[in-house]
Formats: sequence, structure tokens, C-alpha cells
Amino acid sequence: MNKILTIYLKELIEVLRDRRTLIFMIVLPTVILPLLFNVIIGFVVEQEKKADAATIRTTLINADSVPGLKTFLEGEKGYEMLTGFKSEDLKAAIREDRLDLGLVFPDDAAEVVEGGYQLELSAYYNNASLTNKALSRIRKAVGNYSEKKRGEKLAELGVTSAFSQRGVIEPVIVRKVGIAEKREIIGERVGGFLPYFFIIFCFVGALYPAIDISAGEKERGTLETLLLTPVPRSYLVAGKFLVVFTSGIISSVLCLTSMGVWIAIKTGEFGQELGEIIKSVTPMDLILIGSMMVPLAAIFAAILLSVSVYAKNFKEAQSYVTPFNFLIILPAVVAMLPVELDWKWAMVPVSNVALAIKELVKGTMDYTMLAVIFGSTVLVGAAGFLFCINWFKRESVLFRN
Amino acid sequence: MLDVRGLCKIFPAPKRKKGAPVMDKDPREEGKLFHAVRDVNFTCRDGEILGLLGVNGAGKTTTLRMLATALKPSRGTATLDGVDVVKNPLEVRRRIGFLSGSTGVYGRLTPEEMVTYYGKLHGMDAAKTKQRMNEIFALLDMETFRNKRCDNLSTGMKQKVSIARTLIHDPQVLFFDEPTAGLDVISSRTIVDFIRRCRDLGKTVVFSTHFMSEVERLCDRTVIIHEGRTFFDGSVDELREQTNQENVDEAFLTLVGGNK
Repeated sequence: MNKILTIYLKELIEVLRDRRTLIFMIVLPTVILPLLFNVIIGFVVEQEKKADAATIRTTLINADSVPGLKTFLEGEKGYEMLTGFKSEDLKAAIREDRLDLGLVFPDDAAEVVEGGYQLELSAYYNNASLTNKALSRIRKAVGNYSEKKRGEKLAELGVTSAFSQRGVIEPVIVRKVGIAEKREIIGERVGGFLPYFFIIFCFVGALYPAIDISAGEKERGTLETLLLTPVPRSYLVAGKFLVVFTSGIISSVLCLTSMGVWIAIKTGEFGQELGEIIKSVTPMDLILIGSMMVPLAAIFAAILLSVSVYAKNFKEAQSYVTPFNFLIILPAVVAMLPVELDWKWAMVPVSNVALAIKELVKGTMDYTMLAVIFGSTVLVGAAGFLFCINWFKRESVLFRN
Repeated sequence: MLDVRGLCKIFPAPKRKKGAPVMDKDPREEGKLFHAVRDVNFTCRDGEILGLLGVNGAGKTTTLRMLATALKPSRGTATLDGVDVVKNPLEVRRRIGFLSGSTGVYGRLTPEEMVTYYGKLHGMDAAKTKQRMNEIFALLDMETFRNKRCDNLSTGMKQKVSIARTLIHDPQVLFFDEPTAGLDVISSRTIVDFIRRCRDLGKTVVFSTHFMSEVERLCDRTVIIHEGRTFFDGSVDELREQTNQENVDEAFLTLVGGNK
């Protein structure tokens, strides 16, 4: 046992003295990840704000036929009313960015209004742009006018009170009484991302240490010497395995912590709801989330160590590991899809852990299923470890020249 | 005493492209098998320096790896003071030190950390490791760089770290696999001096090389391996006598049949 510890500590020191490993294991989850989030979310928020505040260059065509609406729209804020466009120019003008919105009144607008019928306006705008707010803003403005007109008309008909007016407009409505808690709803959206990141970081953080202490050691010619010490092969593998495992755990815990801190800081910006949800995730939930990552990290360690010790050198190990990136990412992505955790999914390694973490965040975990997933993941991890020991006993793996 | 009897190692043959003409087929290749070592026999008494001589690919490294318990022999036996390398590899490993020309050092550790690590792996306690390490460092003149990272050391210094690592558990038998291959004059001198010193310390040394001159200068006993078989086992003088050649290079070529 002492020798396992000796090997473990030595490998850990080596790993922690390697700049490349440190970047992937520590800097990436604590610095780069939050920074990336900040930039992306900041950018999106900024774009939204900009689109809301931007002045929309608008032209009204044939609006003179409904002078009331024309005056109303001209009085709205946030529009720059341009003139001199014809309805057939609108497409080109918007495409050439001389105009944001063209609102076209039909030729018979005056008669329609006179007759008391519904008036249909056409809005020309660029609907390819995701941040384009021209349509939603003009709809709101016209909607306000429309509501005002409706009130007046109903009053003329003798429906004066706001109450009875509502009764006329919509005699019956359905009010929704969703039984899902807020935590469940937001958990469904946010909860899918979290395990995805934990899992990826657990894998990426363990990747370089694994290559370094197996293929790297082969390349530097130190592996043979190590194999000739009077240490049982299983101890040797245990020491190395634990280092890779630790790296994965460190990386994923750092990821969890940095995301936690980041969310805590940003809670104010996200509003009350998310803050409450974060508060409703109990320490017990966090412990369960963490403990789900433990056997998963063992599986990753087994995969990474076996693959990289087979390689002749660092470079070869990197290319061998690449396909496994996809093998890990794909099942982790499942949590981000609208997939419900059922017994079928509980049997899929990696996916089951990702989905279980999502359920834990939502607060809707079936604990029997959690125990089964944990148990099966532990079994797969243990099998991986045993495979590693056997793999390390093969001459064709260790001396592959 | 090291006793090697009928040692044999078979590997799967290297894959060849179908239809590609076989130009350089090794006579040891039979179907899907490659007999890297077919029949190696020799004995080495305690305190002797034995040179394993042969051209590249003769089977020297494979033989040494089997003796050092890294590879398992396909057939034959090898015993060290009566301990069988296959049946009791851990016990054999306690008694041997192995240094190969391609051995590296842990770049991110210091010589002290590295040597201590190997001491611990050999089950030595901290006090004894430290004492022995200080002795070795003094012997090899390593005091000035004992706490520098190995990455920052010169080739010669690294070589010394490797030697110190090999010696830390005070092994009775030392195996050197082409220890001077690819080294400059000064570095290979370090190794040669060290092998001599081992003799003074009463240690048994088995080393492989393809330099005849090294064998002539250092060895009590020479074993010539060619195409996986022992061709000769005796002293350099006996080699000269047997082949009727004064020059060792010539003697070697006469023996393996390359002197046509």
C-alpha cells in the first residue's frame, strides 16, 4: 500500500509541475470557462439591449388614408420616420440598409376603417436577422392603438366598463395551473448544461496527465526502469490510475466551483427566480452530484490510461485519444436534449450520469434509480481498473516498438 | 551466479503488406512468428564482467530484458543465485539494477527526488535511502546539481542520475543495455569508468554492446550472440585462439560467418 502512495505522490508532483497539464486541469475551468460565459452572455444581453434601444428607420406607405393611426405612430418614440419610398422599393431599401421597416397600408384602407372592418397592414423587415426587433416593436405600437380603438368602439356599442369589455372580447379563457415547480422548469433548461460541462472537464482534465504518465513515460524511456522495480504491476497501475482519476476530479470540482461562484455573482443580473432555484439546491444535492462524478472519473481514467499506454509516444497517444473525445461528448450531450431519464437511459454509461445530474438540479430524482446508476457506474469503473491492470501486464502493450 | 539455459523468445512477426516483395527476410522469421532469441546459453560468475556482443538486432536487448524480468521467456530458464526469473520476478528485481542506453530521467523531478523515489520503490526506509544516496552522489560527483530539475541537466549529468538510480538499492548484479550507444566521448567515459568501478566493488555486470573495443577493454567474459543464438562463450583470449585472429573485429566476423 505504501508503494502505491509513493507512486501516486511522485506522479502527482510531476503532473502538477507540468504547465500543459495545469492549463487544462486548472486554468481552463477556473478562468477560461467563466470568462467565456461572461463574454457570450454579455454579448447576447448587449445585443438585446441595443436592439431594444435602437432607433428604427421607418417609412409609412399610404398612411394618409388613416390619419389617426399615422399621427399615433409618428408620436411613438424610437422611430425615425422617413419619406420618399414607394412600396416596390422597400425590399431593396431594407436589403441595402437604408431602411429598417416599411409599413404598408392597403389601398382601400380608408373604406375598411370607415366600414368598421379589420385593417391589415404589411410590415416589411429583415426576418433573417435574429436580433431584429422591428416587427415586435411595431406590433406592440399598433397593438396599443388597436386596443384604444377597440375600447372606443365597444363604448359606442354600450359596453362601457373594462370588465364587460373583456367579456365581449374573450367570453371564455383557459388559465394555466402548471404543477411543475419553478425549479423543475428552469432546472430542465440549465440542468442540462451543467453535467455536460462537468463531464467534459473531468475528461479533459485527466487527459494530459494520463498521456504524460504512460505514453510520456514510454517515450522518455523511464517506463521500462519502473517496470523493473520490485513492485507488483497492480500497485503500479493503481498509483497511476489514481493520479489520472484525481486530475479528472480536480478539474471537474474546479469547474463546479467556478460555475457556482459565477452564478452566485451573476444571480442579481439574472433576476430573482434563478437565485431562488440556486438556493433550493441543497448541499445534499451537491454531494450527490459530486458522488456521481466519482465513478465516472474512474471510467475515464481507465479509458485514458489504457489508450495512452498502448501508444508509443505522446503524439501517438494524442491521436489515439481523439476519437474517445467524441465517445464522451456524444452521450453527455443527451442531457441537453429534451430526454427524460428512464430505466432505458439509466443503462447507458455517461448519459445516465449526465441525466441524473440534471434530475438532481431539477429536484425530481428517483433515488432508487440514482442508486442503480451509481452502482452500475462503479462496476464499470472497477472493470475498467481491472482491465488496466491486465493491460499493463501485456508485453505487446508495454514494449510496442 | 547467473545461469542462462536454452533461452528463447518468440514474438508475432512484423506485419508485411500483402504482395510486397520480401527483400530482407530475417532467417528467424517463420510464418507468423519471429524467433528473436532462439537458443542463448551462458554462465556468469559473481564479480565477473560479461560483455554481450552482437550486431544490431542480434537479440541482445531481448535477452537482457528477459534476464531482468521485463519480458517472459518463451522457453528456457534463467536463474540468478538459484532464483528463477520467471517464477520469482520480484525477488530477482530486488537483486538487479538495469540501465539501458535509451533510459531517460524524470525531467520534472530533481535527481534527489528521483533517486529517493526508486529507493522507496525498492522498499528501503527513508534514513537508509538518504545515506546511500549521499554516498552515491559523492562518488559520482553529483553534489552541485542534486536539487536541479533533471530537464535542465546536461546529457552527462542525466547519465549520472540514471546510474545513481540504478545503484540506490545496492544491487548485486547490474545489467547495461548498450549503455554507451549515442553518447559522446565524455559521457560514454562516465559509463565505462562506472563499469570498472563496479568490478572493484565486487559486483557482477552484464552489458551488451556492438563495440568490440569495449569488450576488449572491460570484459572478463564475452558472449557472442548472432541471429538469436550463442556463438561463443569465453574470454577474449579464447576468442582469438579459437578463430586464429588477433583483431577482435576480425575474430567476430570469422565466428559469425560474415568474413567471406
